[in-house]
Amino acid sequence: MQLSVQRIVRRFGPVAALGGVDLEVAEGEFLTILGPSGSGKTTLLKAIAGFEIPDEGTVLLGGEDVTLAPPRQRDVGMVFQNYALFPHLTVAQNVAFPLEMRRRPRAEVARRVEDVLRLVELQSFGGRLPRQLSGGQQQRVALARAVVFGPRLLLLDEPFGALDRKLRESLQLEVRRLQRSLRLTTLFITHDQEEALIMSDRIAVMDKGRIQQIGLPGDLYARPATRFVADFLGESNLLEGTASAASASIPGFGEVPLAAPQPAGPVTLLLRPEALRLGGEVEALPCRARGTVVETVFLGLSAKLRLRLQDGPEVLARVPLRPSAPPPAAEGEVVTVGFSPEDVHVVPRA
Amino acid sequence: MTFETNRRGILRVAGGLLATGLPLPAFAQGAAPPKPDRIVVNASGGAMASSMRRSYFADFEREHGIRVVETSPVDFGKLRAMVNSGNPEWTVTEIGGQDAERAKELNLLEPIDTSIVDLSRYPAIGRQSHIFVGSAYSTVLGYRTDVFKDGNHPKGWADFWDVRRFPGARSLRNHPVDNLEFALLADGVPMDKLYPLDMDRAFRKLDEIRPHITAWWSTGAQPAQMLVDKEVVLATGWNGRFFELAKKDAPVGSEFTGGSLKSSAWGIPRGTRHAYWGQQFLQTMTKPQLQAIYATELSYAGLHPDTVNYVPEEIRPLLPTAPDNLKKQFWLDVGWWTENAAAAQERWNRWMLQRG
Amino acid sequence: MLSPGLNRRVIARRRERGLFLLAVPALLLLGVLFAWPVLRLLAMSVEGGTLEHFRKAALDGLYVSVLLESMKVAGMVTAICLVLAYPVAFWLSRAGRLGLALGMFALLLPFWTSVLVRTYAWLVLLGRNGVINRALRDWGWIEVPLPLLHNMTGVLIGMVHVLLPYMVLPIYASLLRIDPDLPRAAEGLGAPAWRAFLRVTFPLSLPGVSAGCALIFVLSLGFFITPALLGGGRVIMVSMLIEQQVREFLNWPFAAALSTVLLVATLAIYALIGRLTRGSRLATH
Repeated sequence: MQLSVQRIVRRFGPVAALGGVDLEVAEGEFLTILGPSGSGKTTLLKAIAGFEIPDEGTVLLGGEDVTLAPPRQRDVGMVFQNYALFPHLTVAQNVAFPLEMRRRPRAEVARRVEDVLRLVELQSFGGRLPRQLSGGQQQRVALARAVVFGPRLLLLDEPFGALDRKLRESLQLEVRRLQRSLRLTTLFITHDQEEALIMSDRIAVMDKGRIQQIGLPGDLYARPATRFVADFLGESNLLEGTASAASASIPGFGEVPLAAPQPAGPVTLLLRPEALRLGGEVEALPCRARGTVVETVFLGLSAKLRLRLQDGPEVLARVPLRPSAPPPAAEGEVVTVGFSPEDVHVVPRA
Repeated sequence: MTFETNRRGILRVAGGLLATGLPLPAFAQGAAPPKPDRIVVNASGGAMASSMRRSYFADFEREHGIRVVETSPVDFGKLRAMVNSGNPEWTVTEIGGQDAERAKELNLLEPIDTSIVDLSRYPAIGRQSHIFVGSAYSTVLGYRTDVFKDGNHPKGWADFWDVRRFPGARSLRNHPVDNLEFALLADGVPMDKLYPLDMDRAFRKLDEIRPHITAWWSTGAQPAQMLVDKEVVLATGWNGRFFELAKKDAPVGSEFTGGSLKSSAWGIPRGTRHAYWGQQFLQTMTKPQLQAIYATELSYAGLHPDTVNYVPEEIRPLLPTAPDNLKKQFWLDVGWWTENAAAAQERWNRWMLQRG
Repeated sequence: MLSPGLNRRVIARRRERGLFLLAVPALLLLGVLFAWPVLRLLAMSVEGGTLEHFRKAALDGLYVSVLLESMKVAGMVTAICLVLAYPVAFWLSRAGRLGLALGMFALLLPFWTSVLVRTYAWLVLLGRNGVINRALRDWGWIEVPLPLLHNMTGVLIGMVHVLLPYMVLPIYASLLRIDPDLPRAAEGLGAPAWRAFLRVTFPLSLPGVSAGCALIFVLSLGFFITPALLGGGRVIMVSMLIEQQVREFLNWPFAAALSTVLLVATLAIYALIGRLTRGSRLATH
């Protein structure tokens, strides 16, 4: 394991910002810590970078215990949320900084700075000051500076937050490409679940100072381990009902067959909005309900509908759109919706 | 019978008329003009003002029924501007020492009316045409009485310069005035042959004492403070400051031998509306009993020879105007200084800059 | 007839002018209380169409030496303030709320007393038999009193004491403006704390340093009560000579010439400080 975090605890007064976190990141892996603000992900990052000393637990980097080591001895490249480029130094001087601190020969510094600037396609910007660059360019300089000295670990602290959507998407792909080509072990911090799904090998969802679930993006999306993960990762319909052996009784939909039998009692089913269908194909589905369209939101390739079910809760449906086809339903219209039982996931109760 | 006594007679009559409450006829000259409800006296302020209020102001108000309003500070430029504008606000004003001569030359002052202001018993220095000498003060030699005991203290400037007989740190004022005189006296120049000052000789003599000067003082409080703190054992200073220390039983004595006397000058701005009452106010200031109150509080005594008789016995030796003290001191020649101050100061600055 | 577009530009310009009006009272005040007197001063210094006063103020050995001495004192005060103030400002910029409040209170304390009282307090402390020397003697650390008063040492102590806040506050302000992630990033990239400071924090605080230096240098040149009292007459500042000319000799033209020479010398130094720190200032804005 390149990074191994074991039972990390950090308390601020009575509040435990980190309540015993375990995390392992394999060499070359891109792991994302996903969580809302206040979930403890920044404190975890600081403990790994060395800006915060945990009250309990151990941080191992490449097998070496660095829990108490100062930041400069950890060989961790970090991209800050606002990039933290040194405003009085040129792009080349910024990138050369970690090499100079390691007292590398001048020729080597020049060569590596040039190489890494070419890698982020900024080879002609070496003489500029950071404020003469666009946000995206600054972000690439920060990335270049974080990787130029061959760190054992790359930390990315919400580095795309300040960029507009289009730029963000292209940079996300660029970072991923760079990370793969350099085989950099990377820990990425974000609160943006979409970003996490796009970029990660694995995702760890954090809440209240603990890791709620860790796994492949697809697994987390399809089979969230907790209600929080289900709700935080993607949009969801959490249907409450009562289980009895191989089926569950859900208000509005009636009896829904379950893939695995559940103990009798209350049960929560996750139904992703895109699994809820509308229109002609519904008649063939075993689970159906009638509801009134409360709101429709046009999203380009799809539309999002909020429906109030007869004798049931409000649900979200996401239906694909074709450019020439008419909208699936208007607000106020009463429609039938349905889903296939294999699209349902039973959310384990805490 | 002279004209003067004649006028005095008329005045007395006028006073009598006033006393009987009859309307006052307008006399062409010399008669008391109508009373204003107040006059304005401009002076230095501070402790002096409150002492003046208790002595001169109170007496004047009681005698004439005219309120005295005081203003401060003393400002020669303002006096000049007021007189030139033709309507001076001040009835009487104090004038800074070296400006007195200039005020007279520039014709800014009313002449002193000796028919009202009785200077007949004043010493010559106090009988001037346009300037009234309110009080005198002196720059004297202060010493630690616990270092120089039993009358074995420096008596004069030759002793002050004698660092072998009277060892210890000293302080002089950071200014040529007084110091040039003291240096010449120390070098053996007699008191009555001081002026015109021989600057070359004075600075040569000052060279001798320079290494023994711990500090060149610039405010009046400094020498007193330094003596009290034993920062120095000898210092020149204004007699009033050492007087205050003596009253507080601090171990500081003052030696008047070779002291440099200066007078506080007063005058009536030319063209002021109540000039007559200004003369009357100056007359109030000549009264020895009042001068004694002022002297007892501040040691700045008026020049009336009887003043000293109204002062408590133990304070008399501390007054620069006590006859015994007066004999040992010289009057600073304001005229010489008016003429030569700028040149002397520049030379002083150069000398200070030489270090040592 | 104006085109509608042009009309809008007129309205836009009028709005900007409205904002300018906000600065008018201060500008008027400056004009009346500063620019006008300075012009009068210049005019007065050449009164009677003669440059004699300038010749004397700029060439006479006395005035040149005193001017140089004043600059030396101002320079020393500035340097000492910088050395003392920077660590204080650095600490304040990272102190907690209580530390900040206490630090600021202690820092601004000298402003609560008058120059005269403050200066006399130093006389009591620094004298040959003053508190400090007595304590050192009582503890047996010294036998002969240290010469702390009536010399350059006394002047520097007194002036640094009064002027220190003027150095601390601008440096503190410029340190606060530095993103705390910058030194953090430097350390993360391999810099020991002191190298992170030298390479990142210090250069970024230079605008505050130069503002503080300029302030203190200029303020120092105007001091005369403190150097007169604590210097025991041995430290002569040009401001003392100017005051002498004005108050004692009413020689306004010469005082004006001296002031003008001082003003020019000050502006020259100011420009020099500006040039020395301009690079870093550009980089941080």
